Amino acid sequence: MRSGKYWAIFKTQVANRMAYSGDLAAHSLTIVMFMWIFMQLWRTTYSVSGSDTLAGLTLHHTLWYLMLAETIMLSKPRLSRGISQAVKDGSIAYLLNKPYDFLLYQLSLGLGDSLMNTLFNLLAGGITVWLLVGPPPEMWGWPFTLAAMVLAWLIDFCVNALIGLAAFVTEEVSAFEWIYSKFLLLLGGVLIPLDFFPGWLQQITSSLPFAYTIYGPARLFIEPSLDRFLSLVAVQILWILLLGTLVTLSYRKGLSRLAVNGG
Amino acid sequence: MLRELGFLIALWKANLQAAMEFRVSFITQAIGMMLNNGVYFIFWVLFFDRFKEIRGWGLDEMFILFGLVASGFGLGVFFFGNALNLAEVISQGQLDYFLSLPRPVLLHTLASRSQYSGIGDFTYGIISFFLAGKTNPGSLVRFGLGIFLSMVIFLSFLVLVQSLAFWMGNAQLVSGNAQNAIITFAIYPINLFEGSGRFLLFTIIPAAFVGALPAEMVSQFTWWNFLKLLLAALVFLSLAGAAFYSGLRRYESGSAIQIQI
Repeated sequence: MRSGKYWAIFKTQVANRMAYSGDLAAHSLTIVMFMWIFMQLWRTTYSVSGSDTLAGLTLHHTLWYLMLAETIMLSKPRLSRGISQAVKDGSIAYLLNKPYDFLLYQLSLGLGDSLMNTLFNLLAGGITVWLLVGPPPEMWGWPFTLAAMVLAWLIDFCVNALIGLAAFVTEEVSAFEWIYSKFLLLLGGVLIPLDFFPGWLQQITSSLPFAYTIYGPARLFIEPSLDRFLSLVAVQILWILLLGTLVTLSYRKGLSRLAVNGG
Repeated sequence: MLRELGFLIALWKANLQAAMEFRVSFITQAIGMMLNNGVYFIFWVLFFDRFKEIRGWGLDEMFILFGLVASGFGLGVFFFGNALNLAEVISQGQLDYFLSLPRPVLLHTLASRSQYSGIGDFTYGIISFFLAGKTNPGSLVRFGLGIFLSMVIFLSFLVLVQSLAFWMGNAQLVSGNAQNAIITFAIYPINLFEGSGRFLLFTIIPAAFVGALPAEMVSQFTWWNFLKLLLAALVFLSLAGAAFYSGLRRYESGSAIQIQI
């Protein structure tokens, strides 16, 4: 019964997003554009190199990898911005005194947002890449990829929540948000699969959470295997536990420092 | 003409004074944007570290291209910041204020807001250009000219697309997508694109005129390239003016009471 209210929040957010399905469709044009550009870049790169495989990936692999990486990146909710805005305009006071857990409320809200964004981006990106390089990787790997995407989403939620909660102290968090998104773009493997990085940089990225938010699920999608899935999920769960604990502690500490400006 | 230039300078001065009121925010935004561009550019450093050269484009060419687009964009949004919000200004009836004053409506609207982060883009672009190692006076002059023409074409394209708000009402989504498209395409080497894709970048989304063509003019100047760029700037500027002023005839006041302080 306790989870009923969060389910209701999630459903409301899904309905809210669906009410503007035209907007969702228009936003998904972004992934179509990116995939088309990536196709031009990587087709030329493979052709110039004269090899079918680069860093163990074919052009087909690279394009489908980038499609999933972009889908995860473009479908993420901007929770930290919402929390920061609520602190700045004082509306946080109305959220905190409601009979629900503030963090779980944000989680349900973000999940509702992401679900619809992901569906539209997957559809638009998937059709584009299918037309460009052929059918997607083996279907049996899809459920594993989906599970890894959910865990990746949770890692991202925790980092986003930590950034958002920083607003309890600093009010303005756009700089942190900015830095995080750049880390994801580069060290997470949104712009280029991490396989193309030099060895020393690959080692650094494998010890940071960003690779498990983007690269891990996208790489699993193009070359699914049970071993790859299990080792990915194990590290993802470790990051969720670590970051989740940090979020809970920061929330408790943040509440005692919060100064509401108005509302 | 001189009178309008004086008016523009006065507007920019006022914008700068407003920026200086929030000095820390101004500096933070500028430095943040430089870091933002720098981190993004690492992608190209890693890419060319592995693949060295793609159809004649290497890291130095990318430094020039990225520098030129960043500086042109930065300069444009710093001096004509409302170019990014024109669709919103039109659809929300905020043109009323500008229509009530005896100054050119489009120029006044565009220059009445400044995007402070533009200074960060501009500075980053200059640094990027110097990193390419083309420091002779001729290259510098061509780079300056390239920035100016790139800025004119970019701003004209924004005005052209956002003027759709006069006919569509809410054109923010369309203009947002168009804006993303021109910037994204402009920072990729033109040699990657062939056939219809290449044609698209010289026409509907004129990204080649904002990035590749001016960058080529900086690296290897030819009069033909310069003339093409100049002609493109004039055509897009005329189209933007025509679209805005013919749309303005359809404009209906928002009847909103606005006080501009």
